[in-house]
Amino acid sequence: MIAHVYVHAPFCARRCVYCDFAVTVNRTPAGATWLAAVSREFGTLRAWGDAPLAPELDTLYVGGGTPSLLDPRLVGRLPAALGRGNRNAGPKRDGPETLEWTAEANPESFTEAVAREWAAAGVNRISFGVQSFDRATTEWMGRLHSPSDAEAAVARARTAGVDNLSLDLIFGLPDTVSRSWETDLHRALDLSPPHVSLYGLTVEKGTQLFRDVTSGRTPRPSHARYQEEYLLAAELLADAGYEHYEVSNFALPGFASRHNRAYWSGASYLGLGNGAHSFHDGRRWWNEREWEEYAALVAQNGHGRAGQERTSPKRSRLESVWLGLRTAQGLEVAGRSVDRVVRRWEARGLATRDDTAVRLTPLGWLLLDDLAVELDLALQPVAHPPPVDAPADRANLST
Amino acid sequence: MPTDRIRNFCIIAHIDHGKSTLADRLLEATATLDSRQMRDQVLDSNELERERGITIKLHAVRMTHRAEDGRDYVLNLIDTPGHVDFAYEVSRSLAACEGAILVVDATQGVQAQTLSNLFLALDAELEIVPIVNKIDLPGAEPERRRHEIAELMGIDPESVLEVSAKDGTGVEAVLEAVVDRIPPPAGDPSDPLRALIFDSYYDQYLGAVPSVRIFDGTLRPGMSMTFGAVDARYEVTQVGHMRLGRVPSASLGPGDVGYVVAAIKAVSDTRSGDTILDAADRAGELLPGYQEVRPMVFAGLYPSESDGYEELRDALQRLRLNDAALQFEPETSRALGFGFRCGFLGLLHLEIVQERLDREFDVKLVSTVPNVKYEVVMADRRRIVVENPSMLPDRALVESVAEPVVSARIVAPSAYIGNVQRLCHERRGAFKSMSYLDPHRVEMEFELPLAEIVLDFYDRLKSGTRGYAALDYEFLEYRPGDLIKLDVMVNREVVDAFSVIIHRENAYHHGRALVRKLRELIPRQQFEVALQAAIGNQIIARETVKAVRKNVTAKCYGGDITRKRKLLERQREGKKRMKQVGSVEIPQEAFMAVLQLDGERA
Repeated sequence: MIAHVYVHAPFCARRCVYCDFAVTVNRTPAGATWLAAVSREFGTLRAWGDAPLAPELDTLYVGGGTPSLLDPRLVGRLPAALGRGNRNAGPKRDGPETLEWTAEANPESFTEAVAREWAAAGVNRISFGVQSFDRATTEWMGRLHSPSDAEAAVARARTAGVDNLSLDLIFGLPDTVSRSWETDLHRALDLSPPHVSLYGLTVEKGTQLFRDVTSGRTPRPSHARYQEEYLLAAELLADAGYEHYEVSNFALPGFASRHNRAYWSGASYLGLGNGAHSFHDGRRWWNEREWEEYAALVAQNGHGRAGQERTSPKRSRLESVWLGLRTAQGLEVAGRSVDRVVRRWEARGLATRDDTAVRLTPLGWLLLDDLAVELDLALQPVAHPPPVDAPADRANLST
Repeated sequence: MPTDRIRNFCIIAHIDHGKSTLADRLLEATATLDSRQMRDQVLDSNELERERGITIKLHAVRMTHRAEDGRDYVLNLIDTPGHVDFAYEVSRSLAACEGAILVVDATQGVQAQTLSNLFLALDAELEIVPIVNKIDLPGAEPERRRHEIAELMGIDPESVLEVSAKDGTGVEAVLEAVVDRIPPPAGDPSDPLRALIFDSYYDQYLGAVPSVRIFDGTLRPGMSMTFGAVDARYEVTQVGHMRLGRVPSASLGPGDVGYVVAAIKAVSDTRSGDTILDAADRAGELLPGYQEVRPMVFAGLYPSESDGYEELRDALQRLRLNDAALQFEPETSRALGFGFRCGFLGLLHLEIVQERLDREFDVKLVSTVPNVKYEVVMADRRRIVVENPSMLPDRALVESVAEPVVSARIVAPSAYIGNVQRLCHERRGAFKSMSYLDPHRVEMEFELPLAEIVLDFYDRLKSGTRGYAALDYEFLEYRPGDLIKLDVMVNREVVDAFSVIIHRENAYHHGRALVRKLRELIPRQQFEVALQAAIGNQIIARETVKAVRKNVTAKCYGGDITRKRKLLERQREGKKRMKQVGSVEIPQEAFMAVLQLDGERA
C-alpha cells in the first residue's frame, strides 16, 4: 500500500537563475490540462496496479514549480482526482492521525484567495520559497517577491488557519552577492516558522548560473562560504530550539515533515506529474521531465513514464546508507570495518555513535556524499583493501 | 632427414623492416601453408587459443623446399622477438640456428637494431644472408642500401639480395641462398642427447611444452629425459615439429627443431636456455652459449584489490613459463600491501607483462615506477643489491652506490645531432663516438645510466627527432655515482612506493616537481594532506592538498533518489580505484607521477 503521494505542478512565472527543476515558465498556466493529465495518469497506474493507495493517505505533497500560481480550486480538487472523495477535505490540525497535506508557494503568488481556497480544501502545511529576505539577493536569483511579500504571505497563511509553515532559504551564494546570511536567518526566525529548510546553492548544468559561472561573469560559489554558512545556521537554529532532524531540514518539536521522512525511510511513494519519481514494491520509476512531453504522452498513452529500475541489494545498501546518514536518527550498522571507519569520523568530529546508531554531526553532513560512499564500501561483503601494517624489516624507512 | 639437408635460420631486422611479411612469403613459397590450410589453421589456432588459453605464436616452423639441385631440404625458421628489451631472447633463438637472414628496409636503411642484431648474430658465428626489402616502395634506394650493408659487413654488394616480401619478388632467391649459404647442422645421432630449449609454452592438457633444437643424439618417445639445470625426470610421450600446429614424428635427430611433450608439470623445470639430456645416458657437457637472463628494470606489481594477491601470483607463474626473463618475488609495501617485486628486461617487457596480466589473466594491477638495480657497498664493506629504492639503507651506513650504465646506440638524421646530444647530456650521458652511416644519417654512441633511460627517455628521443631516431643499448657495467634516496612523505609518513634513487644534482628539482605533481593527482580528502619530499631527514619540498569543505547536494527533489544514487555509485567506483595509505586515499596514477614530470627534470 502507498500512503505518500507527490504531485508535481510544473508552472513558474519565471525561471530562477540556479533552477534546473522540471518547470515550465508560463504566467497563465494550463491548470485545467494539468489536473486532467495528473488524474488520467493516476487512473492508468491504478489500473496497472502500480498505485494501490492506502485507505487513508499519510501525506500529500504538491510541489513545483509554483503550485500557488495555479487556480487554487484545482489544487483543492486533487484528493478527488486521487479517488479520495471529500474524506480528507476540511481544515484539520496536523497530527499523526491525519493527512499531512503540503503545498509549495511563492510569496508573491500566495494571495488571500489561494490561502483561503487551500485551507478550505484541507491543505494544512505550506512551504514557502523565500530563499532570502534581501532584495538585491532575490533580484539576483530572478525571484519576483520582495522581502515584505514573504512576511505578508506568512501572515496570510496564518489568517487562513494554516500554522504549519516551512520557509526555504538558500545559502552558499557567490561572493559577489553580498547578502548577510545571519540577517536572513534572524528574519526567518522572527516569523517563528515551525519548520525551516536550508539548501546550499549548487551550480547545475543547463542553468543560467552555470553559464554565468563558466563564462566568468559570476564567481564560482566558494566552498568555504558554504561551510561557514551551513555551520552558522546549524548553530543558530539549534539555539532557537529547532531540531536539525535531517541534513537540510530543521523543525520545532513535532513539526518534522512526514512526507520527506517517507523518502528517507524507504517507504512507498507515488509521484504524479512531469519529472515525478515513484517507489513501490522494489521498483523505482519516473516520468518525462518536460511538461509538454509529459502532457503529450499522457494524452496519447494515459501515462508519462520515462524509465524504471529494480532495486538490487547493492543499490539498496548504498541508498539506505546515504538516506540513513541524512537523518538525525542515523544509521544502524555494525562490523569491524565499519567500526574502523566510524572511529576515524568520530576523531575528526564528523559523527557520533551510541549503542543504536551512527549519526553525522553538521560537520559530517557537509561531507555526506563522501561519508556515505566510505561507509557503503566498509559494508561491502568483500572489503576495501585495508591498510597493511608495516613489515618489521622496513624499520629503516623512517630513519 | 640427414643433417646435410637441414637448414636452421632466423630472420633479424629493425622493427617494421618487414620480418613478418618475409616469413609469411617463405611459408607460402614452400607450400607450408596453402590457402585452404591457412584458413583451417587459422580457425584451429583460434579455437585452441580459446580453449586452452595459450598464445600461439610462430616460434619455430618447419618448411620443406625443393631446391634448384632437385633435392628436398628441411628449412626450420626460428622466430626472434623484435625489440631491444629482448636481446636475450634473440640470442637464444640465434643459438639454435646456423644462419640468419638480415632484413634491411630499402627506404630506411640500416637502423640501430639492425646493428645490434647483426652484432649478436656475428657473435653467435651465424652465416648472414643480407637482403634489402621493400624494393617496391616509391622511396626505395636498393642500390644505395646494398652498398651500405656491404660496407658494414665487409662483403660484396652483389651478395645482398633485393626483395619485395610484399609482392613476392626475390623470395625464391632467398630460399636458394638459405640452402646454399647457410651451413647444415653438425651432430651425431648416436651421441648422448643434448637438446637446447629456446622457448616453451604452457598447454593445459600437455603441461609445459618446450621448443628444442637437437645438437647431439636423438630424442624419441619412451625415453626418460632430464635437464641440465633441474634435477627432474620425465618420460617423453611425444616429439614432433611445428608447422602451424604440432605434427608428431618418430624422433628428433641432430639439427632437428621441434617440440617435446613429457607431461612436465613443474613450470620452473623448462628453463629457456637449458639443455635437455637423456636421463639414462647423460652427456658430459651442457650446451654452451647462453647469456644469463638479467632483468634490467624492476617494478612492484600489486593487485588493485587486496584479495587479488594469489590470483596475481598464479598468473605470474604461468607467464614465466614462456617468458623466462620474467622474475618476481613477494614483497610487502606499506602503501600498496602484498605484491611482487618483478624484474624485467626493459620497459617494453614490463608493459607486455602488464598487458598480458590484464588481458590473459584479467588481473588488475597497480604498478610502481620502474627502477634499475643498484649495487651498494656498505660501510662495513658488505655488498648488497637494491632492487627497490625504498630498501636503500641509511646514508650513514653506505659507502657507495653503483648504478648500471649502458652503451647506447642512437641512429638519427644528422639534422638532429644537437637535440640528441642535448637530451643525452641532460640524462647524465657521456658521448663516445659518432659516425656517418650515409651523408644524412649518423650513428652515435653514448654511455648512459640505465636509470635515465627507463623512464621517458625513448619518448623524449622520439619527440626530439620527429620520430626518426632509433635506439638500442646493451649493458656495460656498474658505476658508482653520487646517488641518494629521495622519499615522499604523505602526512609525515614515508610512502615507500614513492621513493626513488636519484643523482644528488637532480634531487632538489625532482623532489619539488614530484610533490607538485602529486598535489594535482591526489584529490582533496576530509582533512589536510601534507606532501613532503625528503632526503634523509631533510625536507626539500612541501605541498598541501587542502581539505574538502563540502560535497553535499542536499535536496532529493521530488523523491528522485535514482539520480543521486548514480552519482554516488560513480564516486564509489572512483574510490575503489584508490589505494588507502594510512588514512589518505591515493589514486593509482599518482604512483606513476614521476613519469609525468615532462620537461620538469633538471
